[in-house]
Formats: sequence, structure tokens, C-alpha cells
Amino acid sequence: MADFQTSTHRAKWIFTPQQLVDKYEAANQTAIQTLEKYGSTLMEVDADGSFSYPEPQVNANADKHSRPKPLSIEEEQFMRVFYENKLQEVCNNFHFPHKIQATALIYFKRFYLVWSVMQHHPKNIMLTCIYAACKIEENHVSAEELGKGISQDHQMILNYEMIIYQSLEFDLIVYAPYRSVEGFISVMEEFCGENDHLPVLQNLHEAAKMEVDKIMLTDAPLLFPPGQLALAALRSSNEVHRVVDFERYLMSILSRQNSTDSISKLVQSLNEIDSWVRSYKFPSEKDLKHINRKLKSCWGISSHDESKKREKKSKHKSKKSSNEAENMP
Amino acid sequence: MGDGSSGGGGNRGLVASGNSNSNNNNNSNSNSNNSSSNNNKPQWLQQYDLIGKIGEGTYGLVFLARTKSPNNRGKSIAIKKFKQSKDGDGVSPTAIREIMLLREISHENVVKLVNVHINHVDMSLYLAFDYAEHDLYEIIRHHRDKVNQGINPYTVKSLLWQLLNGLNYLHSNWIIHRDLKPSNILVMGDGEEQGVVKIADFGLARIYQAPLKSLSENGVVVTIWYRAPELLLGAKHYTSAVDMWAVGCIFAELLTLKPLFQGAEVKAPPNPFQLDQLDKIFKVLGHPTLEKWPTLANLPHWQQDLQHIQGHKYDNHGLHGFVHLPLKSAAYDLLSKMLEYDPRKRITAAQALEHEYFRVEPLPGRNALVPPQGEKVVNYPTRPVDTTTDFEGTTSLQPSQPVSSGNTVSGSMQPAHGVTGRSVPRPLLGMPRMQPQGMAPYNLASQAGMGGGMNPGGIPMQRGVSAHQQQQFLQQLRRKDAGMGMGGYPPQQKPRRM
Repeated sequence: MADFQTSTHRAKWIFTPQQLVDKYEAANQTAIQTLEKYGSTLMEVDADGSFSYPEPQVNANADKHSRPKPLSIEEEQFMRVFYENKLQEVCNNFHFPHKIQATALIYFKRFYLVWSVMQHHPKNIMLTCIYAACKIEENHVSAEELGKGISQDHQMILNYEMIIYQSLEFDLIVYAPYRSVEGFISVMEEFCGENDHLPVLQNLHEAAKMEVDKIMLTDAPLLFPPGQLALAALRSSNEVHRVVDFERYLMSILSRQNSTDSISKLVQSLNEIDSWVRSYKFPSEKDLKHINRKLKSCWGISSHDESKKREKKSKHKSKKSSNEAENMP
Repeated sequence: MGDGSSGGGGNRGLVASGNSNSNNNNNSNSNSNNSSSNNNKPQWLQQYDLIGKIGEGTYGLVFLARTKSPNNRGKSIAIKKFKQSKDGDGVSPTAIREIMLLREISHENVVKLVNVHINHVDMSLYLAFDYAEHDLYEIIRHHRDKVNQGINPYTVKSLLWQLLNGLNYLHSNWIIHRDLKPSNILVMGDGEEQGVVKIADFGLARIYQAPLKSLSENGVVVTIWYRAPELLLGAKHYTSAVDMWAVGCIFAELLTLKPLFQGAEVKAPPNPFQLDQLDKIFKVLGHPTLEKWPTLANLPHWQQDLQHIQGHKYDNHGLHGFVHLPLKSAAYDLLSKMLEYDPRKRITAAQALEHEYFRVEPLPGRNALVPPQGEKVVNYPTRPVDTTTDFEGTTSLQPSQPVSSGNTVSGSMQPAHGVTGRSVPRPLLGMPRMQPQGMAPYNLASQAGMGGGMNPGGIPMQRGVSAHQQQQFLQQLRRKDAGMGMGGYPPQQKPRRM
């Protein structure tokens, strides 16, 4: 793989926690402003990949009480969490390799650093991120195939493709922790020395991969380099499988790489990653229902007239897709 | 690894969008100038002065433009427009791949991507690069057809060294180019970077880790002359050694001014066995043997041997004779190491840079075109520019019959030798300024479906003419041309692809 050290991933897409908070805040604010101005937040994305702000609604200012309430930052977070899980589900159903799933997840996370779920339907973004990840990882699946597999309109996937690349600033090569895990496992083989460790290491490897799956659902991939995510996954798997003395193993890795980083700093990062995993929260049914209701009103698809107007306006959006948008959780 | 989470460096400010508002811009409907007609340029385009078309190929068109922005006014930019991919397949994977690789790399000997533009009208991507006036294809051709003299040894060595330098960078970043050939090796013209080599065209490049599909599976046709023998024999895995084979072929071509292995290409079925290409290689390098190349036995086409290539007996090789190099010379030694059959024994870019050849006089330099000793400098022609096409080149005209007529008005015009350059702003009307011999490749580009986008008579057309009108006009013109038996250039040796 091209070098992570010189990558756009490292230079542009690893943030401090405060930077993340600021970005989420800014995206939320933009959506709220749009809502105030236009009475609705959902961007129109057309077949040519261009997008535009919602049409001002005539009655937007007339009735202040019926004006839709925007999502809070926490509610937006819940929405993303929900669809990131969906994303993993879809990838598993298609039996895509881990790498594609991870790439799609990272695209999804990066996309929503720029936008709010109020502005772009996360279901559409999720599917298009999967489609784009397949294209980039050379596991090409046609949009039609992907759409069919989950009975969604594939034109929608194609509509969103360009805006996703654009929002990602065309930085499309991403580094997932799975490969780093592999590398660390093979270092561990040497570290352990004896061959009878192999089956144990195999188990550790599998456990670590599952651990990475969990980490990938948190914000940690936007905060830490993939190598550290991999080590955190290995460390927590090792706590269960007890294969190596992890501290000694970390020391050997650091000395191997002539790294100037102190072990305490590294351990601190791993602890932080662990705490991201521990504090991960999945929204309850009740939360979801509530958020979805709010979202729908933000999207302006609660009333019948509105949805009809939309259909008429965008002929590329099939009836099916807009109906589904209404029924989506 | 071991990398602390360094805060995000600034956005390189590279990606520009068509006309879409960024999300903190609360303008309403941005669609208005999307659906603009031909004479209404998209916003992003207004930062450039279009000079004309400089190339076309399977992927689309390449234009020359100049920036209008005050700090960089007049800077030449090459804009590569990708054709929209097959219907229902979304954004062109080739374009996406080229962009994503170029976003990650930065090296003096690799072409620099300065901007990405999206044209929402047809969902096509425009890649803006620093413009390079020359390429090895044109340089070699100029020497062969005009100068009738070999390329200066200093120039050959400098070009090769810089090519290897760029390639070494790519390979150490785990990127294989896969489509190296003279027309993809650019050389900068007048200016601060004069004579600096830039490797271009990453549409087929791959990162090692990604599973590599064969070229034909990607539906791409590339010249076979620079293809490594292991690929010709059906190897499934690309390694960086395939690029080094191509460099060997290019080195020989720089020395002799003609392609080293000029095989006739078999076009069908998909991914056919290229017997003639292998035959050409074996004739020069001798029969490959299992002693020299142990893994040869595992290569599918060698194993199956449907066309009995194993049975051919080729004489001992006479490579040095072909390239007119003494057997004992450093140049010959390096060349033969690049053209080593066994990819595992083939010299790497890093090793080649350390080779004796680059340590003996004349030493390679940064400006490959101007020898330091004050020898005679060859003035290479500037790139021919077709000033009659619009940015929307392909979209404004439907592809129709391949154009078979050449440019009827250009015969007597001399190629401009880089003196005046093309400083005339934006020729819209009047004679196209540049009509040197080199005009032909664009007009004659025989790639299916691309020919129709050209104006065969070289007759300047007004902007804003509707596509339909233009189309009709062109058809009339073509008929007229055919009827009068005018024009007609000799076929090019090689369709040019950018």
C-alpha cells in the first residue's frame, strides 16, 4: 500500500477530538440555518450529481408552531450510528471483504463531517459509500446490482456518487486497520518464537478483526491512525486470549520501528480508543422513532403535497424511492 | 505507525466543484447555470482561457488552457476531460483511479494535478495538470523525421535518469504505472522547469495491494510494444518489473529512434495471445530458457503453447546490434538488465539509478533538453493545438463516421518552433494558428467514436452554434471532402493516446 506517512489520510483526515466537535457543530448549524431560511433541510441531488437547496416553502414563516424542529448534534450522531450499522449489515450480506466495509465506513464518516443527516438522507449516502468503496477497491459492483440486492432504486446511488467524491475532496485512498492487524500478528509470530503458538495466534487474529469491526463504528477512525486502532484491537483481544505480554510486545514494536514515541504515549492512545468503544451507544427503538419523526419533518416529506411536489420536480427520482424514503425507519 | 494523531493539515484546496455551493453558502438554487447551453460556460471554466485541444484518446480529450487568476496569470494548464463511462456505471472508474492516486503522490518527476473540476452538464470530470510542452513520443519523432540525427547522449541519459527517478518514487510508494510508453513521458518546455521529465497518465496505475485485473478485463486497449514478456505469456500478477521492461524499451527507442519490439497487435478475442509481439522480442533477445527464467514454465501461454512458440528456435540475441551499442558499454549493460526475461532478475528502478551508466560522462542533468557543454540545442516543436474545438468537444458533437480526411489547409504551414509560443489570446475565428504536420494525429485519431468530434476541414467555427447545426455542417463538410478527394494524411504509425 502506498505509504500512510505521506498520505492524505494522515495529513487531512485525522483530527483532534475538539476539531471533530467543531465540525459536527458547524454541520448542524448549517442545517439549522437552512431550515430557518427554507423551512426544510433536505438537499436536492439530481441525476447530474449537482445539488441545490430546498425550495423555500410558502408557509414557512406563516405558522411558527408547525415549523419543523432541527435535530440536535446527539440525535444526528444516533442517526449516523444507526446507518453505520446498516452499512456493515449490507456489506456482510454481500459478503464484501472487510476492507471494502471499512473504506465505505470511513467515506460515510468523512461525508458527515461536512454535511448533516438533515441535509442528505443517510440511507442514500450509506449505499453510495458502499458503491464507491467497491469501485475504489476494485471489487466493482454495478449500481444496479447493489440496488437490487437491497431493493433500492439504483439511480439514487448514481446521483449521489459525485457529491460524495466531492465532499471527500477526492481523497479516496483510505487505510483500514485490518491490514495493520495482519502485520502485527506476523510480528507477534516472531516475538513468540515457538511455532506451537500459531493456532493461538490464529484465534487472536480473528478476535482482533471483530474488535476492529467495533472500533470502526466509533469516531476513533477519525482520531487515530490505523496502526494504533489495530494495536488497540489486538490488546483488548489479547486480554481475553492471553497470548503475549502486551506491554513487552509494544516495547519490542517501538524499538523495532525506532519510534521516538514513548510507550506511555502509545498506551494512552490505546486507552482512549478503548474508551471510545466502551462509550459507544446505539440508539433505542424509542430514540429512533423520535428522531425519524423529526427528520421527516425537516426533510419536508411529512405532508402529502410536499412529496408529490418533489416527485414532479425530480423526474429521476422514481416513485419507489420516494415512497421508501417515507417508510424508512 | 507510531504516528501521533497529527492534526489535519490544511486542505490542499485542490478540488473545485462545478457550480455547487459549498454548504456554508446559502444561495438558493444553484442549478441555474448547470443546464446552460453551449455558449454559456460553466463557472469553473471561466477561470481559464481555452487555447485548444491537444490530444484525445480512449479516455477523452486533453485541452490546453491558461489560467486567468491574477497571481498565476497566463500559466499553461493541460485539462484532461474524461468521457462519461458506460451508462449506469456512474463516474468513470479510470478517472477516479487516476485522481485518487495523484492525490497521494508528489514528486518532481511525476505530473502534478492542480485541480479537479466537475462538469455537471454531463457528469464528466476535468483534471487540470501543469502543462508540459513536450513528450518522448514527439521528441523521438522530431529526431527521426526532421532532424535526421540521434538524440544527444546527454539528453538521452538525463531523460532516462529522471524517468527512473520518478518511477523509483512510484514503486517505493507501491504504485505500478502499467502503461509506460513514450507518449506518457512528458518533458517540460521553456520555463523554470525546462527539460524536466514528468511521468503522466495514471489511468491504469495500480497500488500493489489491490487485486489486479488484467488489462482487457478493464476494457482498455494499450500499446503492446512496451508490454513485458511475462504479461504477454499470461502472468496474472503485475509487479513493478513490468514498468522496468517498458523503460528498457523506451531507452532503446531513445537510442535508435524506433520502437524496439514493434509487434503487430492481435485485436480479438479479448486478451488474445500476442504471438507476433513475443516473436519480435525473441528475435532480438533470443529464445527464453528455463535456466534463465525458471518460472517461465508456470506461465499459462507458455505452458499451453497453443501456437507452438516453444518450438521456435531463435538465434542467440543480438540486442547490442539493434541498438548500436558496444557490448562492453555501460549503456548496453544497463539496457540488457532492463530487458532481462525473468522479472525477478530484472533490474529495479532503485538499482538502475545506481548503475555505472549514470556515473560516467556525460552526467545526467535536470534540464534534459539543454546540454551544459553548450552543444547545439535542438528546438523541439511545440505541441500542435487544435483551436477549433470547444471544451465541450465531445458533447457538442455526436460521434459519427470516423473522419478520414486530413486537414486540407495546413500543408504549407511551418511548425512553430517554440519561439513565439502561442501567445495570441484565444483564437476564435480566423485560421487556426497551429497547423503543423502534427495536426494530423488528432484529426486522424482512429479510435472508434472519437473521430466525429473533430472538425475535419480545420475550419473555424463560431462558438454558440448549436450542436445540431454544427453536426449538420460537419456532415456536409465531410461529404464534400470525400467527394472532392481532398486532404487525406498518410496513416499515423501509431494512434496516439493520452
